[in-house]
Amino acid sequence: MLFFSLFKTLVGKEVTVELKNDLCISGALHSVDQYLNIKLTNTRVHNEQKYPHMMSVRNCFIRGSVVRYVHLPPGAVDVEVLHDATRREARGG
Amino acid sequence: MADDGETATVKEPLDLIRLSLDERIYVKLRGERELRGRLHAYDQHLNMILGEVEETLTTVEIDDETYEEIIKTQKRVIPFLFVRGDGIILVSPPLRS
Amino acid sequence: MASLQEVPLPGTALAEELDQRLLVVLRDGRKLLGTLRSFDQFANLVIEGAVERIIVGEQFGDIPMGLQIIRAENVVLLGRVDEAIDAPEGLTRIPAAQIKEAQKGEKELNKLKSTIRARMDFLDLD
Repeated sequence: MLFFSLFKTLVGKEVTVELKNDLCISGALHSVDQYLNIKLTNTRVHNEQKYPHMMSVRNCFIRGSVVRYVHLPPGAVDVEVLHDATRREARGG
Repeated sequence: MADDGETATVKEPLDLIRLSLDERIYVKLRGERELRGRLHAYDQHLNMILGEVEETLTTVEIDDETYEEIIKTQKRVIPFLFVRGDGIILVSPPLRS
Repeated sequence: MASLQEVPLPGTALAEELDQRLLVVLRDGRKLLGTLRSFDQFANLVIEGAVERIIVGEQFGDIPMGLQIIRAENVVLLGRVDEAIDAPEGLTRIPAAQIKEAQKGEKELNKLKSTIRARMDFLDLD
């Protein structure tokens, strides 16, 4: 639940989701669920000419399993808190 | 002391990763990708958060004229990155000198 | 109750998308447009009035597909499409039969390219 909790604290922040098919979408994090499915609003696709079908998409739901990376805003998370939460998770799980 | 004893025990693979928290690690991913960065968080799926990450992507391009294979490496730096665990092939802890 | 409303129940992420016209991108790169009528916790989907949108170069066309049940693991993303922007900017709509032909042509060209490459590999000119 560590990353689910973490992503919940990032709701409203600007993130970039990079998918396993190389599609890169930036937008405001609208919501996340326990599978780490992600909903973005006000989305912008990088390299839009390559993905013309995405031009009229402004909001989207991304299935967690197709995510490669999520670029997070640096400074949005306290890394000390993150280390402690990780150690707690490691003990519990 | 008790806490020291607990953090130093290595009983399963993930314990090695716990010992790498806040250290720079090497991660090999599917699709000819490699990451080097500081480990800030992970879970049992090997989902991770890395800081000051350098990603190396190795691609093989085919020259349109000669059909020769050209191996290229692209590097980029990402300040703060969540990595989904299902793409990870191996994790290597920092080299301790 | 307030906290219950803040955290949606597990597997209800797509409730807001029900009965909306959506773009569904599949893992093999195919793109479907249609109305989301049902889903479950895995994101298995039921899409009504689906069309497959094929884009070749500057042209696109829609192939009618009717009612589609999509297995969750093949879903990459769902996007709310602005109905006002029906056609992707800069692309021309052509009839279904023609876009199928254009796609066939593109596939054959790619196949030809990879065949030539395979032969060059076989000769191993290094």
